[in-house]
Amino acid sequence: MALIEWTEDLNTGIQVIDNQHQRIVEYINKLAHAQENHSRAEVGGVLDELVDYTLSHFAFEESLMEESGYAYINAHKKVHQLFVKRVADYQQRFKMGEEITEELLNTLRAWLINHIKNDDQDYSGDVLHNMQQVSHRKDGWLKRSLNKFFG
Amino acid sequence: MSQIEWTTELEIGIGVIDGQHRRIVDYINTLDDVSRIPDRETVGRVIGDLIDYTYSHFAFEEALMEEAGYEYLSVHQNTHKSFCERIEHFRKKFDEGEEVAESLAELLRTWLINHIMSDDESYAGLVKEKMPRIENQNQGTWLSSAVKRFFTH
Repeated sequence: MALIEWTEDLNTGIQVIDNQHQRIVEYINKLAHAQENHSRAEVGGVLDELVDYTLSHFAFEESLMEESGYAYINAHKKVHQLFVKRVADYQQRFKMGEEITEELLNTLRAWLINHIKNDDQDYSGDVLHNMQQVSHRKDGWLKRSLNKFFG
Repeated sequence: MSQIEWTTELEIGIGVIDGQHRRIVDYINTLDDVSRIPDRETVGRVIGDLIDYTYSHFAFEEALMEEAGYEYLSVHQNTHKSFCERIEHFRKKFDEGEEVAESLAELLRTWLINHIMSDDESYAGLVKEKMPRIENQNQGTWLSSAVKRFFTH
């Protein structure tokens, strides 16, 4: 099973978001390794970490969108919710003993790449513009948000 | 069997939605390509990805319509719902071993193009009016081109 390779076209231009997306890609690749090792315990562990990190990432990303006044934030959130539910279903099936890893990996790869390339690109202009304003304020908003969701 | 070629006629003028439609068109073209090869695993994966992406697109689109106060939201939602039932029916037939890729690609092609050009066009104006984008209001296309220039390496 092929691993995801990070390519330039996955960059949104927002460094902090790009770093988080790269981290999610690493988790997906780690999941593929665990699957190759045929280790259910390892797959279960990585899956929990991936879900946990992705939830924090979504919360952080949504707060950036909100702060910037991105017009389609609610629609974007709906897409996140749908994805979270889908992955939670896989997680549940995995815990019930089903073999879902291959199918889950396909879903994760396809979803993440499509989402980053289109939906995330769409908010990047608004968020970057706002971050430039925020950086002038020097009140540590960005750092506080990072601590809030990842601290 | 023909491929869909993306033209400006298919654009409704909301960039993020146009991007999603383009991606669906890519998937339909891929499905059409793989329908000619005897590889059920690949065909199954493309069908699954296409369905997943379409669901995600519908959720996004319905949320925009709801927020903009589109009066035909429930009609549009029903159209989406019955379409989802039709493609799920295809997926079920595929899982049972039938060859469905070509007829599914055909259905999707016809449905999507009609849907974009009539149903989606009808809500696009309202969304643009009720939910104006900051970058459109203040900077025109300057911001997005500046972003691309300075931040895309």
